[in-house]
Amino acid sequence: MKTNRITTLALLLRTFCLSLLCLFVATVLVQAKGDDFNSVVKLIEQFYGVKHQGIPFLAKAGMKVGTTAARIKGGTARRIAEAGSIKLAVFEDQAFDREFSQFRTSLNTALTATWTPLIQTIAGGGEEQTYIFMREAGDKFNVLVITIDQHDATVVQVNLSPKNLALLIKDPEGTGKAITEEATINDPE
Amino acid sequence: MNTLFQNLKLPLLVAVMLMTPVLVAAQAQDSRIQMSSLDHLTSKATQTVDVNIDERLIRLASKVFSDHGDEKEVKDLIAGIKGIYVKSFEFEADGQYTSADVESIRSQLRGPSWTRLMNFTSKKDGNLEVYLLLDGEKVGGLAVLSTDDREFTVVNIVGPVDVEKLSKLEGQMGVPELGIEFKKEKKNDK
Repeated sequence: MKTNRITTLALLLRTFCLSLLCLFVATVLVQAKGDDFNSVVKLIEQFYGVKHQGIPFLAKAGMKVGTTAARIKGGTARRIAEAGSIKLAVFEDQAFDREFSQFRTSLNTALTATWTPLIQTIAGGGEEQTYIFMREAGDKFNVLVITIDQHDATVVQVNLSPKNLALLIKDPEGTGKAITEEATINDPE
Repeated sequence: MNTLFQNLKLPLLVAVMLMTPVLVAAQAQDSRIQMSSLDHLTSKATQTVDVNIDERLIRLASKVFSDHGDEKEVKDLIAGIKGIYVKSFEFEADGQYTSADVESIRSQLRGPSWTRLMNFTSKKDGNLEVYLLLDGEKVGGLAVLSTDDREFTVVNIVGPVDVEKLSKLEGQMGVPELGIEFKKEKKNDK
């Protein structure tokens, strides 16, 4: 009788441990998954009813943003991001006039399972929104910077070395802006 | 008894191994105050800043501070810190946040471990409250509550911090400029 109880207890504990182990493995798998960059772009498109311009379209149109992004991808204008690591989506001359708090909630819900929100700033009652998320990617870090103003928006995902991530943490707002600018502003170089 | 121990040894070991990080994390969160009750102010504010920097990120950041001058002081200051969390709101008009909003933060700082420090003032207008979480002689964390008619800021530092050098953190790692001034006087309880 006593042995039976002990065996049952041991079985229960084993089941509990297995469940914990499964939960642990599932968490790791969730963290490893997914292209959240595209999810964020889609979320912006759906929420605001806008459409992003791809880099080839922008380059064809001779817009500075496209050519610069292309050059960064080739590594010529690279300063902060690692070579070939930039993902960029640009929304230009469109209306981002919906109430932002719902968007903020949706964005955080979509990303916080796998990304850490580093800094979020909202200015002008939602007229300017900046969100910076990060996550580990091997020995580097993925950083996702989302900026939205009344007419334009940018989503940039870059790989950062630990040193550049440290710069981002030291001055999150300044370095976040620098990442977006590096990806979108023409460099006379 | 021996059989019981032998039967449970492995499952217990696994359970302890899996639960240890959870328990350690829970312990480190003691001085972390909950600020999500303020989220609704975002829609009323003209400017909102929300910063979350955990221990791992602080360790990384400390590498870029130099070993000279002010940067050395900041580096030393953040050496043992486990997290920096900020929520800051600026409003266009008076009366956009309520006493209940302030109370949602203050009520967490009334616990027996928290002590309000009276020797801090702000160069800016408004009210500045600095609270310290003490575990015996050890400082376990800090909270700053800065309010005026059109501003509401909460800064929460988790882990040991040198309060006398608190102002050095202003403008660094997402901590806003609060005009913190430290006066070397006796500290009083609430």
